[in-house]
Amino acid sequence: MAENEINTLVVRKPCFGLPTGCTQCLSAYLYLKFAQLPFQLDFHLNYPDSDQIPYFEVGNYVAYNNEKGGVIDCLKRDVGVVDLDSGISSLPDWIQTKAMLTTWLADALAYELWVGSEGYSSSPAYTIYYSDLSWPLGKVLFWRKARWIKQKHGINNENAELKKEEIYRRAKSAYGALSTWLGEQSYLFDNRPSSLDATFLAHGLVVLQALPESSVLRSKLLEHANLVRYVQQCKTEFIDDNPTPTYSWQFHTAGSSSTSSRSTSSSKTKSKPKREKTEEEKTFKRRSKYFVAAQLVAVVVFITIMTSFDDAEVDLDE
Amino acid sequence: MTHPLNHNAAQNDDVVHPEPEDDEQEDEDAEEENDDDDDVLPNLRAPPSPASKLQQQRFKVETLARRLSSEMVPIRVHDIVVNGNTKTKDWVIEAELKGIETATTMQDLMRACEAAIARLQALEIFDSCKVRLEPGPKELPNTANVVVDVVEANNTVSGECGVYTKPSTSSWTLECALKYKNLFGYGDIWDTSLAYGGSQATELSLGVYAPLIKRLLTPIVARIMLVSQDWQEFSSYKEQLLGASLGLISTKHHDLVYTLGWRTLTDPSQTSSRSIRRQLGHGLLSSLKYIFKMDRRNSPIRPTRGYAFLSTTHLGGLSPDHRSLRFLRQEFDVRLAVPFGFYNTALNLGISAGAVFPWGQGFMNKTSPLPERFYLGGDFSPVCTLGGPTTLWGFKTRGLGPTEPRRQSRNRDDDNNGDSPGWDFIGGDLAVTAFADLSFDLPIKWLREHGIHGHVFAGSGNAAKLTQHEYKHFSPRKFLESFRTSVGCGIVIPTRLFRLEGNYFHILRKDEHDRGKTGFRFSFSAPS
Repeated sequence: MAENEINTLVVRKPCFGLPTGCTQCLSAYLYLKFAQLPFQLDFHLNYPDSDQIPYFEVGNYVAYNNEKGGVIDCLKRDVGVVDLDSGISSLPDWIQTKAMLTTWLADALAYELWVGSEGYSSSPAYTIYYSDLSWPLGKVLFWRKARWIKQKHGINNENAELKKEEIYRRAKSAYGALSTWLGEQSYLFDNRPSSLDATFLAHGLVVLQALPESSVLRSKLLEHANLVRYVQQCKTEFIDDNPTPTYSWQFHTAGSSSTSSRSTSSSKTKSKPKREKTEEEKTFKRRSKYFVAAQLVAVVVFITIMTSFDDAEVDLDE
Repeated sequence: MTHPLNHNAAQNDDVVHPEPEDDEQEDEDAEEENDDDDDVLPNLRAPPSPASKLQQQRFKVETLARRLSSEMVPIRVHDIVVNGNTKTKDWVIEAELKGIETATTMQDLMRACEAAIARLQALEIFDSCKVRLEPGPKELPNTANVVVDVVEANNTVSGECGVYTKPSTSSWTLECALKYKNLFGYGDIWDTSLAYGGSQATELSLGVYAPLIKRLLTPIVARIMLVSQDWQEFSSYKEQLLGASLGLISTKHHDLVYTLGWRTLTDPSQTSSRSIRRQLGHGLLSSLKYIFKMDRRNSPIRPTRGYAFLSTTHLGGLSPDHRSLRFLRQEFDVRLAVPFGFYNTALNLGISAGAVFPWGQGFMNKTSPLPERFYLGGDFSPVCTLGGPTTLWGFKTRGLGPTEPRRQSRNRDDDNNGDSPGWDFIGGDLAVTAFADLSFDLPIKWLREHGIHGHVFAGSGNAAKLTQHEYKHFSPRKFLESFRTSVGCGIVIPTRLFRLEGNYFHILRKDEHDRGKTGFRFSFSAPS
């Protein structure tokens, strides 16, 4: 099979011990795992504000996430991926659960990542979405997203605390409702995996793995043991059994060398991202010192040479 | 500005001060040296009448002219005085007067004054510039004072509109600019410009041109710009660049520019091919571009003798951040024009080559940035487009080179639909072009008088991908065998600003997906 004919799910950066740190990408990943469709992962690291990611490629066919129904619906329609929601997606409970997951819980996680993390020493959102962009670009895009989230919820200086409490209160209610609904079952509906399981498990994995221990949202999820068990079980079955793919640093994640992105490595622990970041910071500081010194030397040499530069180049006779 | 010794000039009875004649011409006073040459000056006892005074002055001017034409008249510049500048800093004007103070003969002094006037006018901040020579102090013989009279421009705001060509994008741009001159008195020119061109290219920029900063003899050019380019039709992506550029060196042969910018590639149509798709997103551009240019051809529009050489080195990734766009791009361009001596016939030969590579950790697996690759094609004549491998006669913009199939229709059941998804031109990491153009005058006198001439030409070019292990499949023989070739003939109408060609092309060799067609086409080219 030509390399281009291999099923490829293109997602955001793997981090925090997960195959991808982005909930939407992780949700698509888990659905395809549930559907037992063989595929490989590839990464698109420099487009954090794109709504096309995750996208699925096979040959010249591409299913983008911003097309009708999302990437999974496109795959069901076009590629023939099994519809795990058949028979249950029209149930009233299904629709309510979906609404809860895609609004209250999604909003709470987005708030926690971009707005609530202002007090954290390092933002998980920065690590997931912006760490592969140059520093000024990452900062501007992060700020733009945070501003968008505040505008979406109408958050300003006066009502910031009230809005924060409201967002966490809704998340807490959602967790409680899901915990009650799940009970001791293995999955949310009909004891079989569905797209809602993929959505909630992606959310839960990011909350438990990426958010720091001081996170309010994380602590609220930890209050429900069955939800935590449910997430851990998924992690064991679908994440830990498949070693976290790493990627050799590639410029804009070139596709033809996607096989190298699946080089196996031991699963990253939570402390490894911290260690890498410290090493990166040290390297960055050392290089920036060399760069500043080189710039100073270049400016001094330039001024020295230019003061004795012959202006014979300015030839007015021609 | 006046000099303390300036008052001596007025007291010298032998000084002649003719009236200034024209803003564009050098004014000179017929100066009288303070020597006691009795052969020249008649000894008058009685006060001279106006008529005899006029005769004396005429005699002196004739003597001076005779001396200037027959011998080197020694002179020494005692002082340079600048008058008329209220806003412009003195040192800005004095810096353009170099060569005057070191003149040792009258002839050298006149040439230096001519050059100084031209340089002052080139600053574009004066309405008029005049240079007068006045005799120096009585006690210092063979000296002269140079007096520079400038009139600063009343109207400091001006507008400009023009049409330019950009070989790098194979497109034309219409540019309108508003200029504000001499805001701070340094001869600085501030401009805001809006440009619109082919491929829906738009550019909004704010720039400053400072011809002189103290102790730096090359002008400083700085720009802040927002550029957007639409390559959707050819390569399924749009490019936007927000950044700043700083011209560090700008001389006749050397150009060094630093650019810092935020580049974004998007695909609103969502039809891009795989390698284009993977490059969409944001990138930081921090690059230094050095251009060495030597053009010894007698004309950039219709060269008939001489040679030209251009080398462009573009190094990206000049920041401590390894995540910025890192690449090295090198271009060479060599031209030769050989005259044949009859019917103004000349053979123009040219060969251009370029390569781009990523650098940094893991560069073997990286790909080169999309906008920095080589895209061949465009309705430009390679004869007057000096700027690396850019075009080949007969091929449309981005019309030849490596291609990739675009995204297939979403509905896979609809395979019977005959619409092909199309192909994206993804550019090459290595490109080579060559051409030969034989131009000759036409037998009709009227055409000859207006410079309209004919030409026959042949061109060849190719581009190949080398990055991401593609170099393993590269072989020089295959590269040479896959060269596209075209021949043709046509009429060339050169104007002062551009070169219009009406050509018939015949494509001898092209690849399956190339966009080139045998036929008749017009092309406009501006010299670069």
